[in-house]
Amino acid sequence: MDSEDDMHDANDAESLDDDFYSGETAMDSDDGDAADYEFIDNDSDDSDDLLSRRSQQNYTILNESDIHLRQEDDIMKIASILSISNVAAAILLRHYNWSVSKVNDEWFADEEKVRRVVGLLEDPRALPNVKELTCGICFEVYSSDSMRSAACGHPFCVTCWQGYISTSINDGPGCLMLRCPDPSCSAAVGQDMIVSMASHEDTEKYQRYFLRSFVEDNRKTKWCPAPGCDYAVDFIVGGGTFDVTCGCSYSFCWNCTEEAHRPVDCDTVSKWIMKNSAESENMNWILANSKPCPKCKRPIEKNQGCMHITCTPPCKFEFCWLCLGAWSDHGERTGGFYACNRYEAAKQEGVYDDTEKRREMAKNSLERYTHYYERWATNQSSRQKALADLQQMQSIHLEKLSDRQGQPESQLKFITEAWLQIVECRRVLKWTYAYGYYLPEREHGKRQFFEYLQGEAESGLERLHQCAEKELQTYLTGGPSKDFNEFRMKLAGLTSVTRNYFENLVRALENGLSDVDGHGGSSRTGGTRSLGAGSSKSRGSRSKGAARSSRATDDSAHWSCEYCTFANAKSATVCQMCQQRR
Amino acid sequence: MANSNLPRRIIKETQRLLSEPAPGISASPSEDNMRYFNVMILGPTQSPYEGGVFKLELFLPEEYPMAAPKVRFLTKIYHPNIDKLGRICLDILKDKWSPALQIRTVLLSIQALLSAPNPDDPLSENIAKHWKSNEAEAVETAKEWTRLYASGA
Ligand SMILES: [Zn+2]
Ligand SMILES: [Zn+2]
Ligand SMILES: [Zn+2]
Ligand SMILES: [Zn+2]
Ligand SMILES: [Zn+2]
Ligand SMILES: [Zn+2]
Ligand SMILES: [Zn+2]
Repeated sequence: MDSEDDMHDANDAESLDDDFYSGETAMDSDDGDAADYEFIDNDSDDSDDLLSRRSQQNYTILNESDIHLRQEDDIMKIASILSISNVAAAILLRHYNWSVSKVNDEWFADEEKVRRVVGLLEDPRALPNVKELTCGICFEVYSSDSMRSAACGHPFCVTCWQGYISTSINDGPGCLMLRCPDPSCSAAVGQDMIVSMASHEDTEKYQRYFLRSFVEDNRKTKWCPAPGCDYAVDFIVGGGTFDVTCGCSYSFCWNCTEEAHRPVDCDTVSKWIMKNSAESENMNWILANSKPCPKCKRPIEKNQGCMHITCTPPCKFEFCWLCLGAWSDHGERTGGFYACNRYEAAKQEGVYDDTEKRREMAKNSLERYTHYYERWATNQSSRQKALADLQQMQSIHLEKLSDRQGQPESQLKFITEAWLQIVECRRVLKWTYAYGYYLPEREHGKRQFFEYLQGEAESGLERLHQCAEKELQTYLTGGPSKDFNEFRMKLAGLTSVTRNYFENLVRALENGLSDVDGHGGSSRTGGTRSLGAGSSKSRGSRSKGAARSSRATDDSAHWSCEYCTFANAKSATVCQMCQQRR
Repeated sequence: MANSNLPRRIIKETQRLLSEPAPGISASPSEDNMRYFNVMILGPTQSPYEGGVFKLELFLPEEYPMAAPKVRFLTKIYHPNIDKLGRICLDILKDKWSPALQIRTVLLSIQALLSAPNPDDPLSENIAKHWKSNEAEAVETAKEWTRLYASGA
């Protein structure tokens, strides 16, 4: 340990644990960036907080009538600026993909050209001033008052117009740019004319296309990709993230329209999704949602969201869903220490011989992927489960709880908040596994820091999830309890602490863990100490993991890599697995 | 008879096609189906199709004139916008169709297409390639085909 940074790291690690588990407020605040990664309970428990956060986002959720209003608004704006009719303004806006500024620019740059391109005639012509006219489509002769024309004056009978309009509407959204039937004429046919002659059914279709165009042809808006959702999202590009949460509660990335994926970027997501589909045949077994109980071997189905599984009686063995290890190994303090984030740590202790090591190496790339994929998928299904639980909570349990505990439902918002937070955290956690997969193996400092942060995130979330899922049960089944207020404090506190932690986590990962970068080589050794044996107080199984790797060095024919635990031949000066120097 | 309630427009168009045919074009309805036309187009002068007589069929679908007529070459022809089944790549037969267009305008457009092949919007990939890489040779082939397949009539 040779720099202040090392001290720094060590401090971080300890204070993180202490703060989180004791629920106390932060340690000395002059600790610079370290404060970003702590579970600090500095938020009020105000349940409106979440809502106020959402309202200052860089996007707006639009329902159908909002879309309609905005569309009308833009049309009126253009109509008044350009002194043209609403119908003409609509034609212009549609042509320029609903960009008010583009219409303005083009119009004032060269009005004549715009009129020509769009088909808006400056001087509308009336029908020829004669008693009878021949329709250019059916060739019948009509009195001129039963003929119609667009602004160009080319006469067609009403029946032919109706056929023309109906054919166009049933051909698709091209009807929004309908022109005069005369092939030599490009006069636009406006909405007023179309609506006046189309059937009721066709008018509805047309209006549908018109509304959809405002979303689909507009660079600022997109439909929510959730199936069956009719909301659109209006997004202000520039600054902020792309993650949006629709009114239907689905969160997605506005940029790539995949589900929300902070802290990883769109490219990583598409890489990861492609990787998954390529590997999906190998992965089928992972998706099976039952595993044998590690003790009695009966298949256990995971039906609760958290990873702490209890086998059915009489076995009742408590184990971790991810590593199938005894739950009691997972932490020293009650509540369970959650240590399943680390790939290496999940492996069995013991010295491997060379053949086994080599086999390991061959399996490593698939195993490595499997490790991340399984955790990604598990968090995904936990999130689905939490969403379902949230819905059940809102539709059934809150009312019941209100009854049992004699609390008005308005006082139970903290429970909904907690579940919303769980859902969000599962999502973030899920994507941290894609992040971890693509974090280069040789960036040891970053990897260690990342795994540390991820581990903390997991254990924090696990606590919140347990509290919201299991502790709540008591109050749902029992009578009024004087402990209920305490429960409220605890759950609201956990929600707030967890929210802060995850927000900081997302920011740290989005910044590419740049804090670690700056520390250079020294933070590696420092990191190891602080995350491992250095902070013995509360490190549970993780300090064992670190101790293990250094102990293995005693094997005389091999040296064990400090970073990846690979047993290298004595002659090697560089780790064959991770290229780290001995 | 299916022809008994033929729209007035089709009757008028037919009458006019027969009474004042466009130069180099003849179109006459089939006796048992007034919506089916036997068409002949003379190869335009100064085109590789000069001297040829090309047979086509033209059918007016139920939706006509809201939908375009269906036209196809029956005579084999070497042309980048016409495939070996005789189908024609012409905008007014597809998205640029307007009910104010007529059989006459369609046939005139096809005649014009024979004078001005457009290898940039090909229907027959091979012929278009040939046209672009060696126009003189392609034109020779077109002339050859015209002699071989379109000289009888
Ligand atoms: Zn008419
Ligand atoms: Zn017109
Ligand atoms: Zn939605
Ligand atoms: Zn994205
Ligand atoms: Zn069991
Ligand atoms: Zn575990
Ligand atoms: Zn290594």
